Amino acid sequence: MGWRHYMAGEAKSSPANGGNFFLRIRGPRDFYGGLALIVLAAFALWAGSDLAGMHGFSFGPGTTPRLFAWLLMAVGAVIMISGLISDGPPLESYAVRGPALVVCAIVTFAVTIRGFHFTFFGFPVRIPEFGLIVATFLAYMISVLGAREIRWVESLIAGAVMTAFCVVLFRYLLQLPFPLWPAF
Amino acid sequence: MSDLLSNLWLGFSIAGHPVNLGFCLLGALVGTLVGVLPGVGTVATIAMLLPITFGLDPVGALIMLAGIYYGAQYGGSTTSILVNIPGEATSVVTCLDGHEMAKQGRAGAALAIAAIGSFFAGCVATVLVAALGQPLTRVALEFGPAEYFALMLLGLIFAVVLAKGSVLKSIAMVLAGLLLSTVGSDLDTGAGRMTFGMPELLDGIGFTNVAMGLFGFAEIIRNLEATGSSREVIEGKIKGLMPTRQDLKDSSWPIARGTVLGSILGILPGGGAVVSSFASYTLEKRISKNPRRFGRGAIEGVAGPEAANNAAAQTSFIPLLTLGIPPNAVMALMVGAMTIHGIVPGPQVMTKQPDLFWGMIASMWFGNLMLIIINLPMVGIWVRLLRVPYRILFPSIIVFCCIGIYSIDNSSSDVMIAAIFGILGYWLVKHDFEPAPLVLAFVLGPLMEDNLRRAMLIARGDTSVFITRPISGVLIFISVTLLVLALLPMIRKRREEVFVESEN
Repeated sequence: MGWRHYMAGEAKSSPANGGNFFLRIRGPRDFYGGLALIVLAAFALWAGSDLAGMHGFSFGPGTTPRLFAWLLMAVGAVIMISGLISDGPPLESYAVRGPALVVCAIVTFAVTIRGFHFTFFGFPVRIPEFGLIVATFLAYMISVLGAREIRWVESLIAGAVMTAFCVVLFRYLLQLPFPLWPAF
Repeated sequence: MSDLLSNLWLGFSIAGHPVNLGFCLLGALVGTLVGVLPGVGTVATIAMLLPITFGLDPVGALIMLAGIYYGAQYGGSTTSILVNIPGEATSVVTCLDGHEMAKQGRAGAALAIAAIGSFFAGCVATVLVAALGQPLTRVALEFGPAEYFALMLLGLIFAVVLAKGSVLKSIAMVLAGLLLSTVGSDLDTGAGRMTFGMPELLDGIGFTNVAMGLFGFAEIIRNLEATGSSREVIEGKIKGLMPTRQDLKDSSWPIARGTVLGSILGILPGGGAVVSSFASYTLEKRISKNPRRFGRGAIEGVAGPEAANNAAAQTSFIPLLTLGIPPNAVMALMVGAMTIHGIVPGPQVMTKQPDLFWGMIASMWFGNLMLIIINLPMVGIWVRLLRVPYRILFPSIIVFCCIGIYSIDNSSSDVMIAAIFGILGYWLVKHDFEPAPLVLAFVLGPLMEDNLRRAMLIARGDTSVFITRPISGVLIFISVTLLVLALLPMIRKRREEVFVESEN
């Protein structure tokens, strides 16, 4: 409950009313960092709440996770409070395009190499097996999109060369059991 | 002594086998390549290459992986000196004076001193690993669960103290790593912990996925953000590879000091090559008669750190091979490589697989000899590689990482987990959290939990066992002292800040 209050305070505060001790987050990078750790610890406590604890003097499966989670929550709280009361650097801006496309490339590779099944709101989705060649080339080209400058011809050639290199190295030299071609 | 010599002889006869020499050369070449290319880290590379070692003989595989690690220390300096971009985190400080020397037309001397320093340190560290192996193994056999737990705790505290930035945040990273390491089946009862019923998580989160995400993908995401970095390669032929007599004289003591410092920091769990190069630079600057020369092309600023990082890279094998405790992320991957081949790292390696133990140590000497040749006369080839633009390089790294992770278990979910950790790593950097302590804690977590539980069971729930047993008591005492020493200045500073504020 408390932190919402502070967050609302941050929106209102401006450099002009810097003396407002409790309504301004002085070190937002620490504040939100600590907050995220607390959330992570709380999540872990919730996720492990079904695990048995101490059994006499022998540890149960839940003992150590809970111990680590409580400690993490405590340290997270100290970091959060220190971000509240002492000045720190502002939040950095997050890039969206680079991270999104890199993740997209990785996930594309993961789901196409040998196909993937999952249910999306009750509808079964089935991605067929595309094999190493298509998966590698697709992942390469999607990552290319994440860069600031894109040179299409150069990237297409480099992607093709890299795909060929991977096929030779992993499939033929190392003989790893990858499917090469799409199989629908 | 004669024991040591005969053991080393065994090692040299194994490492000198043409096949193993070939693996050693391959490792040294890949290591140099990784070191030269900025944005490709050692951890990510070794993780990428793990699947390649599946089909190899374990001795050859480990010789190659070790070569990549120390080879990267050589290669990293080349980029630092010629381009002013550290190829590896370990050669960040080499930029300061190395690149200045290059601007003054002394690139050749800087490269040569870096290589000679690394070679000297490598030779000393090889002997050290060999000499310390046996006595430490004997110590390790005395260790019970309480001692192991205390030692790993000390390692984590070292990682916290030596990490950059806030001590508190490093502690948080250690705890987060420990917490993440508990995901998966419980060691004793087999109960799934925090798995949400997903069978993929029953085996726990794979270490390679975490390492690849935090060090490989996160690094790329961060680099993409940087505004088009211009790489000013020093043009023209590098002349005068032979350092002058004066250069050698000036750098001989820094090299010796760097070697000692690096060797010590390498053995300490939580230490490693990065810390030791920084420590050596600071030391040289502090004891120099004329500290103002530093940052303006002082040869000591190249010689010391380069010797230190190479020494540390090699001595960090000591805790792994004798105690079975990986002191840093690269060594944790070596654990992975050993496990793939059914070798359990620890004191028993030396007695059960003497050829592996001594062969690997001896190969380090061969590797260092090869590296000095790879790096000095062939430096022109590596410089040309630097002209490969990042926009071609980074998609290749992504693709290579994906295939690498996928091939370990043929598992798509592993690849996705690595992607999640990539985003997490990006977030951590944005909030000034260091990923290194997290990774170390993640590796040590299961070992620590296991030993903690066993120690408690043996002591029938009496926590004082960690203090009353002498070795463990000393280790715990050192850990607590270190932690207090690290935290004190911070508490004092914060209090001052708060007091200053309240006075306004």
